[in-house]
Amino acid sequence: MHPQLKSRQICFFLIAFVPVTKLFMMSSIIAGIAKEDMWISTLLNVALDVISLLCICFACKKAQADFITILENNFGKTGKNIILFLYFIYFLLKAVIPINEQKDYVELTLYMTQPTLLTFLPVLLCSFFLCLKELRTLGRLADVIWIVTLVGFITLMALSVGSTDFSALLPIGVNGLGNILKGSYSSFIWFGDIAYLIFFIGKFNYQKHDTLKIVFSYLATGVMVIFFTMVFFGVFTSIAFRQQFALTEISKYSTVINSIGRFDYVAILLLLFSNMFAISMPIYFAVKMLQGIFPIKQKWIFPLCVTSAYALLLLFFNEFFYSIEQFMLIYANGYFLLLGNILPIFTVFLRNKENKGYAIKTC
Amino acid sequence: MPLKRAKIFFIFLIMFAIFFFTNDFGLIDIEKTAIITAVGIDKGDDSEYSVTAQIAVPEASNVSSENAKTHITGHGETVGSAIKNVGDVSGWFPNLSFCNLIILGNSIAQDNVITVLDYFTKTLRIQDSAIVVLAEKEASELIEKSTPLDNISSFALQKVLLKNPGHDKDTATVDIKSFCVGYYSYTNSSYMPFIKGQEENQKNQGGSSGSSNSGMGALGSGSSGSLGSDNGLDGKGEALFDARSTALFKNGKFVGILTPDQTFMFNAITKSVSASTVEITDVPWANGNKNFLLTIERNSPKIQLDIIDGEPVLNVSLDLYCKISDQNTDSSEHSYTKNYPLPTPVKDRATQLLTSHLDSLIQTSIETDCDFLDLKLKLYRYHHDRYSQFKDSLLSVMKYSCSVNVMGQR
Repeated sequence: MHPQLKSRQICFFLIAFVPVTKLFMMSSIIAGIAKEDMWISTLLNVALDVISLLCICFACKKAQADFITILENNFGKTGKNIILFLYFIYFLLKAVIPINEQKDYVELTLYMTQPTLLTFLPVLLCSFFLCLKELRTLGRLADVIWIVTLVGFITLMALSVGSTDFSALLPIGVNGLGNILKGSYSSFIWFGDIAYLIFFIGKFNYQKHDTLKIVFSYLATGVMVIFFTMVFFGVFTSIAFRQQFALTEISKYSTVINSIGRFDYVAILLLLFSNMFAISMPIYFAVKMLQGIFPIKQKWIFPLCVTSAYALLLLFFNEFFYSIEQFMLIYANGYFLLLGNILPIFTVFLRNKENKGYAIKTC
Repeated sequence: MPLKRAKIFFIFLIMFAIFFFTNDFGLIDIEKTAIITAVGIDKGDDSEYSVTAQIAVPEASNVSSENAKTHITGHGETVGSAIKNVGDVSGWFPNLSFCNLIILGNSIAQDNVITVLDYFTKTLRIQDSAIVVLAEKEASELIEKSTPLDNISSFALQKVLLKNPGHDKDTATVDIKSFCVGYYSYTNSSYMPFIKGQEENQKNQGGSSGSSNSGMGALGSGSSGSLGSDNGLDGKGEALFDARSTALFKNGKFVGILTPDQTFMFNAITKSVSASTVEITDVPWANGNKNFLLTIERNSPKIQLDIIDGEPVLNVSLDLYCKISDQNTDSSEHSYTKNYPLPTPVKDRATQLLTSHLDSLIQTSIETDCDFLDLKLKLYRYHHDRYSQFKDSLLSVMKYSCSVNVMGQR
């Protein structure tokens, strides 16, 4: 076992990268389905993630090897490759909507006229660079970025709470269990982030109370996201479903903003900065899955392939994003639930045998 | 990272940085940009929209000068196309980022105004926190008026609509987002300030003539007083804006108007109106009726909708803590700064006057079927089991009681 992370860094990883991707389009999509009960849909997803996280933490506790080695020891090389390929597809798809959200957000809100697509490509360059790095780099990144995320989020919420009508969330449960579950289902693409953590198994020395620390960190991010959805609906109420870019809209009705100007953009830009790394996470793990399946020495090949795929998607499939989005939100969510929440639960049932020597070193 | 790879990476980084910065961050040439400060929207007989854009024209100068402005009107079958037409005829790119005021002409109010306003909530080109108002006549006429308050009429109007703390809260100011929230909510009701532009030509007359009917506020509140002006503007047609009335909308259609008294009472029961003033007339006094000016220090409203014996009952109460700011009595024993109880006749008359305003406010809501007090939302949120029963008839079947309690020093 090669410890690359500290439990502290895993906690910061969750705070830095988990909540930020959920602050763009997700709220308006859930609001369109579950309306006043959108926070309950979010709560269900957070609860589901916590259950999966507890199982992963238990697996971490007894792990004597990294996850890929454990997979190979349990299912053989072919079984391992199949599972890694499934996760490769999962991470590949998981990044599509968030990348497009960030691109649309930057282009439509920060530029007065139509910017070229090339303006967004440096983000993918950053992802490419990140993919060349080991897990310990993610740990160090999380050590820094969590404070950026937290400052941006707290500032934005502080400016928004004053114009929030929390009574708009009443009556609770009025839209019915069906719509609440549908709202929950339609947002699986933004949840299931704890799937990243199964690849942290065996990558850090589990110590006493680490489960508590990690679960508490995730709960903190869950509270942040649930509170955001509450504030979002409280600010926009009956037109919440139309607010595609919650991030830029939510704070501007503050009296302070009206008097001084849009200084909330400082907080927005902080969150955009965090999100640049957050959307790189699925790309990073997709690359690691490929490296787990095909252990080649040239580490730059898979990062180049994966980031190029996204660049091509943005360049040539820009006119098809409605269909892509619909596919993701209607059909692919079952896959996200399976890979993001259900399969991680089974990590507790894996036998944690030591590496027999033929396992492939990854990550 | 080996040096060679680092060099390649650095070259790529520079290359992408060049791509990134060639767009000038999306900024455009200021010489080709129309910075629109306000738009007025009218509808012609042929259902064509006319958008009159008030454009600030920045000029380089080392001396302080008046804001320069110009007006350009564009036409189109939709509001978006009319705004585009402004750019087409002027060659300027219409930049709406600084547009804080949208004036709807009376021709717009004859149909569903949301057909016009929805554009502004859906586009990112304009802030949906921009104020929206209804003009008594044509919006283009109002926006093109000159005013002694500012060279740019929309700035003057905004001064009337958005007052600093300490001024009277006598306008029911609303932004596009709030208007649309009301329209799409269970109440389907919205409101916006109703602007009366008054032609005045009192140049060099000096003094002021704050219009005040039944006393909601003094000069400088709600309406802009007619001021003597010697600022180089032409004396013709200088505009005075009265924004103290409120236009009511049901399902996006204009259904009625709140008077200045009702508008003030609406503000008093929905938001803080501290520092606002109330004129109390005809107070019985020793030597005949006198008038008083009260300053509201604190207002505590309570709007409660209950279901009693299966029937909806509305209770509206308002506690006002006031101090006397002025009075035209023959003599007075105390300065206005001294803590002193309100005389009983003043208290009684104020209670009577304000209760009648509150009663007329609720009556107007019932008569116009415009639920600007969000009573249906209260029914939906707090008595949801009765919502389907009363959602269409709440205003007409509910019983109501209202009371105003005017207090002074105790």
